[in-house]
Amino acid sequence: MTVRFAFDVAAGLAILFACVMVVHRHPVKSVLALVVSFFALAVTFVLLSAPLIAAIQVIVYAGAILVLFLFVLMLLNVPAEVRQTPGRPIHHTLSAGAIVAFAAALLAAFRSYGATAAPPAPAASDPADLAPLAKLLFSDHLLSFEALSILLLAALVGAFALARREGGP
Amino acid sequence: MSGADLGIAALRVLAPVLAILIVLPMLQWVERRGAGLIQDRPGPNRVGPFGLLQPLADVVKFFMKEDLIPSNADRFLYVLAPGLAAFAAMTTFAVIPYGATLTAGGRVIPLVGADISIGILYLFALTSLSVYGIVLAGWSSNNKFSLIGGIRSSAQIISYELAMTTAAAGVVLSGGSFKLTDVVLQQGGSWLALPFHGWNVLPQFVGFVVFFVSAFAETNRLPFDLPEAEAELVAGYHTEYSAMKFAMFYMAEYINVVVASALTVTLYFGGWGLPGFHPTGIAGVLLSVVIFAVKVSILVWIFMWVRWTLPRFRYDQLMRIGWKALLPLALVNLFWVAALVLWKVL
Repeated sequence: MTVRFAFDVAAGLAILFACVMVVHRHPVKSVLALVVSFFALAVTFVLLSAPLIAAIQVIVYAGAILVLFLFVLMLLNVPAEVRQTPGRPIHHTLSAGAIVAFAAALLAAFRSYGATAAPPAPAASDPADLAPLAKLLFSDHLLSFEALSILLLAALVGAFALARREGGP
Repeated sequence: MSGADLGIAALRVLAPVLAILIVLPMLQWVERRGAGLIQDRPGPNRVGPFGLLQPLADVVKFFMKEDLIPSNADRFLYVLAPGLAAFAAMTTFAVIPYGATLTAGGRVIPLVGADISIGILYLFALTSLSVYGIVLAGWSSNNKFSLIGGIRSSAQIISYELAMTTAAAGVVLSGGSFKLTDVVLQQGGSWLALPFHGWNVLPQFVGFVVFFVSAFAETNRLPFDLPEAEAELVAGYHTEYSAMKFAMFYMAEYINVVVASALTVTLYFGGWGLPGFHPTGIAGVLLSVVIFAVKVSILVWIFMWVRWTLPRFRYDQLMRIGWKALLPLALVNLFWVAALVLWKVL
């Protein structure tokens, strides 16, 4: 019961700070809201007995990617956004439509969740045990694992090629 | 879980943190007297015998100072940042085993805060968060020097974290576990027979060097203290801080030094173990804690020794060392360990 309560609190915080991230005017504060949201998400992963995913979530997203976001925002010294003149009517219509569609999708997801969700089965072994995961990665999913690493390498080389100055080193 | 169990668990978690907090003022005294020794001057020697009460006087001074908040600072983040720095520093100790397993009164008590199976990942997750305290302090102070300090810190910590984790991956590979208690036990074996189960520092000396050098950068200590480089940035990210808020950054730095030393001892120097030492009974367990403390103290002294011996690097040199020297060396070490494991030497 307490686990369920903690899960609800963490999930609520994740959603709340995701909303803060979207609506906050100041980019740096937005990034910080996202950090809190990712943390809450990591807590939900722990409560779903997936501590490995939680650790990776914190190391990769909160610890590395968002630090880079902050780094860039601070380096460029991005100021808080100011409200622009009100948009054209078509903007309002389109955003209202998008909100309704998203709410409908969310509602449908909630309804089907209530109907089909079974209580999660207790994990057979230590959920943080990395050996089964590593075995899967390097046997059944070896091809996709290696393809993914080549994709990342290609992205890295591409970014380097784009950032390089013309005629530079 | 009974009350006694809860009490034991709380003690297990709190004991190392309290021990560090008590030793902290002493570390500052050692650092300043050590600086005096190295620079051929007395160091603090007025308050108490050998200046031993100087840290106490400093604590009183921290409490008495005026607590300033710059008028254009972002108040919330300005107040939050030192707390974040101290929090990230203190929580890292939770997974480091500081003594052998104690068996007393029918209870088995491992002397470690929480023996989780992803211990090393937990440590790197928290150390990667320590950068937020510094970056936010630099940004929220609304001061150019602080901002540059914060930005330098984020770039530096991300760069060196890569080399540090890659070096630590060698230890994980040879030990076959992310659990720090397993890492310690695995180093408690024979030094003479193969497979080698002595201290990791021998087969992975390169990995140890990379890890230890990166630890200096991660803790913002000289020769890598670019975020606060007083000659160019006044005091970097904590220029605007005073009183207890400054003290919290100061504490966080020393706690980070202790944690980095403890982690190095655990990963490369056999943790609380010694070759041929098999702790039994309460006396043996106490001895293991003492061994751990002595090893950590030696490394903490090396941190201080280096600070007063080496000059600060230039920023481009810092980045070059991180990316072009330490990271390739860490990768070479990883391949070397993989080969040793493959040939069943480890």
